[in-house]
Amino acid sequence: MPVNEVFRIKDLHFAYGKHEVIKGLELGIKEGTVTTLIGANGCGKTTLFNLMTKNLKPDSGEVLLNGEDVSRTKLKDFAKKVAIVHQYNTAPPDLTVEKLVEYGRSPYHTMGLSPDPAEDEEKVKFALQITDTDKIKDKPVSELSGGQKQRVWIAMALAQDTKILFLDEPTTYLDVRYQLDILRLVRRLNREFGITVIMVLHDINQSLYYSDEIVAMREGRIIASGKPEEVISSRLVKQVYGVDLKIQQVDGKPFVIPV
Amino acid sequence: MISRRKKVISFAVTAVALLGLFLISVNTGSLKVSPAELFRGLFIEYDSNVATIYDLRFPRILIAMLGGAAMAVSGVLLQAVMKNPLADPGIIGISSGASLVAVLVTAFFPKLYFFTPLFSFLGGMLAFLLVYSLSYKGGLSPLRIILVGVAVNAMFTGIMSAFNSGTGSGYSGVASIVNSNITMKTWSDFETLFIYTVIGLILSLFVTGQCNLLQLEDKTARSLGVNVTKSRMLISVIAVLLAAISTAVIGPISFLGLIVPHIARLLVGSNHRLLIPYSAVLGAFTFLLADTIGRTIAYPYEISAAVIMSVIGGPFFIILLRRSAHAGK
Repeated sequence: MPVNEVFRIKDLHFAYGKHEVIKGLELGIKEGTVTTLIGANGCGKTTLFNLMTKNLKPDSGEVLLNGEDVSRTKLKDFAKKVAIVHQYNTAPPDLTVEKLVEYGRSPYHTMGLSPDPAEDEEKVKFALQITDTDKIKDKPVSELSGGQKQRVWIAMALAQDTKILFLDEPTTYLDVRYQLDILRLVRRLNREFGITVIMVLHDINQSLYYSDEIVAMREGRIIASGKPEEVISSRLVKQVYGVDLKIQQVDGKPFVIPV
Repeated sequence: MISRRKKVISFAVTAVALLGLFLISVNTGSLKVSPAELFRGLFIEYDSNVATIYDLRFPRILIAMLGGAAMAVSGVLLQAVMKNPLADPGIIGISSGASLVAVLVTAFFPKLYFFTPLFSFLGGMLAFLLVYSLSYKGGLSPLRIILVGVAVNAMFTGIMSAFNSGTGSGYSGVASIVNSNITMKTWSDFETLFIYTVIGLILSLFVTGQCNLLQLEDKTARSLGVNVTKSRMLISVIAVLLAAISTAVIGPISFLGLIVPHIARLLVGSNHRLLIPYSAVLGAFTFLLADTIGRTIAYPYEISAAVIMSVIGGPFFIILLRRSAHAGK
């Protein structure tokens, strides 16, 4: 049985001025998976991320979300289908966790008014519980630790009640314990609630371990995509990052020895 | 963190203080009446003292309140748009742009006097777009906005003074716009200010949610469905409308749009749903206070409320600027 694709990208081109960053890229993202984009710095993965999330407009080609061109979707409608956690976030100093998570409901509001406050409350409660931030809901976001902050931003995205979640380097700036916290949370969101997750990660081993699908990029094109164990090889690592590294199996899963 | 109770108390205390100040201000001057006489004179039977107060002091007091509210809310909106607590319609030249155009229109096309608010608005928009586009460099740095704003402000003010000197200040209407004098205001001035200010204030209540979301990173606001550019433009237009209309009737006032929102944030927090209405009340209070002080401090002479605001606001601004320069690094 063919798996549904939530995203389909066709012949995508994008350039910053004359510098072409995305060069005829083709990609499909399967529904219900955790898909991770990997690639060296400057390979275009952040640009691709921004093109898929309507932060940039393609020069040519299409990004289709459930068959519909995202550049023709209104921002507000897009925000009801796709939630995004950006890498860098700031909040006013006195904004509490709960208030911030409530912002996640704003795509459903018109002129600042909610058509269904009960539903808002329910979704916010769920988002706080699942990210384990309900105990700190009355604290100002600005006073939290890095790991807690990241959970809160994920909670805000979850309050948007979307089937698709984008995460841009969600573990950067966190120490390893909080990195794992976040990745386990992401996997749980996928497994228990069927949320399709698309993320950019720097750590290749975390990408391999926590993803159903890996998309490897180089110079604005996809050079490999598929299940981690099928895709990863010393040759691919060499192609993507330009270094010779060994691959080893631990508990039947591939790991790259990053030294 | 400010508790909900404290916010409610701040709001109530300020509202009561405004009412009290209103009554004091009504009774400040050579004519004095008791509150009971005032009530009788206004609603029950004719009283010549009350009638004089009604014709001379009431418009002025109400104009001070509306103008103060308009400038304060304009400041909050500009600060939300520019993500910069130092943005003020007076400092960055919106008021002087508005008054310059108002002065030129009054001098050269006196027949269009009725449309002064509209021309003030266009002048304010011109100044705003100049500041915004000249200080945008891959983002809006707080200090760059202030620097460009000061330059734009100086330019407009300079042109206006040149024009004023060159024409011998013969136009009384022009002089009153330039000098921020609200002594001789009438009920018809009040009506002009009232209509536009109320429209502006109501519009500002519709964008409180957007103001809140704009305090996040632009990308994050976008991912919540906010068209950041459109939203900024809309909020700016409302801010310029409020500042321009107040300038058209009262003249340029500096620092009010800076001081009031700053104090308001300390008292009720940064949620715009509360911050905007509260700033309106506190702005009305502050400017009426400045005007009342100006009327009494050198009695029988009057010091304009705008002058009082500048004298108090200047040092306040320097303190804020120093603080933000520390925080920015």
